[in-house]
Amino acid sequence: MTKGISMAATGSSGDTVEGIARVVHTKDGVIWLEPEQTTSCGACAAAGQCGSKGIGSLASRIEARRFVLHGQQDFGVGERIVIGVGAQTLLKGALIAYGLPLASSLIAGGAVQAFGGGDVESMAGAAAGLAVGLLLAGFGARRLSARGELAPRFLRRAQPGESCSGKDEA
Amino acid sequence: MKDYALMMIGAALVNNVILARFLGLCSFMGVTTRIDAAAGMGLATTFVITVSSMADWAVQHYLLAPYGLGFLRTVTFILVIASAVQFTELTVRKVSPQLFQMLGIYLPLITTNCAVLGIALLLVEGRMSFMTSTLFAFASSVGYSLVMVIFAGQRERLAVAAVPRLFAGPPIGFIVASLLAMAFMGFSGISTG
Repeated sequence: MTKGISMAATGSSGDTVEGIARVVHTKDGVIWLEPEQTTSCGACAAAGQCGSKGIGSLASRIEARRFVLHGQQDFGVGERIVIGVGAQTLLKGALIAYGLPLASSLIAGGAVQAFGGGDVESMAGAAAGLAVGLLLAGFGARRLSARGELAPRFLRRAQPGESCSGKDEA
Repeated sequence: MKDYALMMIGAALVNNVILARFLGLCSFMGVTTRIDAAAGMGLATTFVITVSSMADWAVQHYLLAPYGLGFLRTVTFILVIASAVQFTELTVRKVSPQLFQMLGIYLPLITTNCAVLGIALLLVEGRMSFMTSTLFAFASSVGYSLVMVIFAGQRERLAVAAVPRLFAGPPIGFIVASLLAMAFMGFSGISTG
């Protein structure tokens, strides 16, 4: 069961980054949501046709980013809601997911070269550092998750016509 | 050590990927509407550029160069970059599904980012060692991320500024980008020799 939020959604308001998601399933106070926005270019779900979606179909990508909210009642399938996470969460998450493995890889590769290793040894050191960094990133992500920092919060119901750019679509 | 530092400063600031080499302009204009999105994209791109440059270096030195397959360089590097993006996506999803749901959205866009291929091709021209090329790629991508975040900050301020209607939106964005490029030209006065 996954929890999360597509951050490339609407905008920011104060300390919260907001996004619009659509309810796709409800059961016993748990709702399953699909983020509306599908690209990081600041556009809406319609921009999924823009060719920047890369490998994999749009449907499979959206399905992979499906997430749940617990303890929510009174939502119907198809309803659009605004959700959010702390503004610092995205940066913290990116630093853990990308920064940590990269730093450990560069340090390990550099250390091997500093101790007289050649190109092949440096490459092996960088690869080992990358693997260690990914393990550390896993631990870091679990810590963030245990503290509830990665879990999205329900903010409000989306206004009719409210789009992922935060403006009326009309 | 001094040589490495100068090379990295040169790659990040003096020969900035976006403002001096004009690579990665699609994401520069497309993903800089908010600082958090720009920072997420920048970090993801930094990771992919550095990892793919490591793989590209190995492919170039142990496959393309020894067997005289240099004419396949561009297509091979594109394949390596796409594989690096897929590897990153799968790894982040495996390491933390929650982080993947927050950050995975930036990854597909990187596959088509010309900055990634451009840096890989620059590394071949530079004939560098493994760690030198890796640090060059890392510094170049840090320069890319820096400009993305600076420009996103400026655009966030522009969004609430009273801009004449004729210039509102992308036009004022381009004007600000040109001013930013001129500001970065100041770094070319730094002697890295």
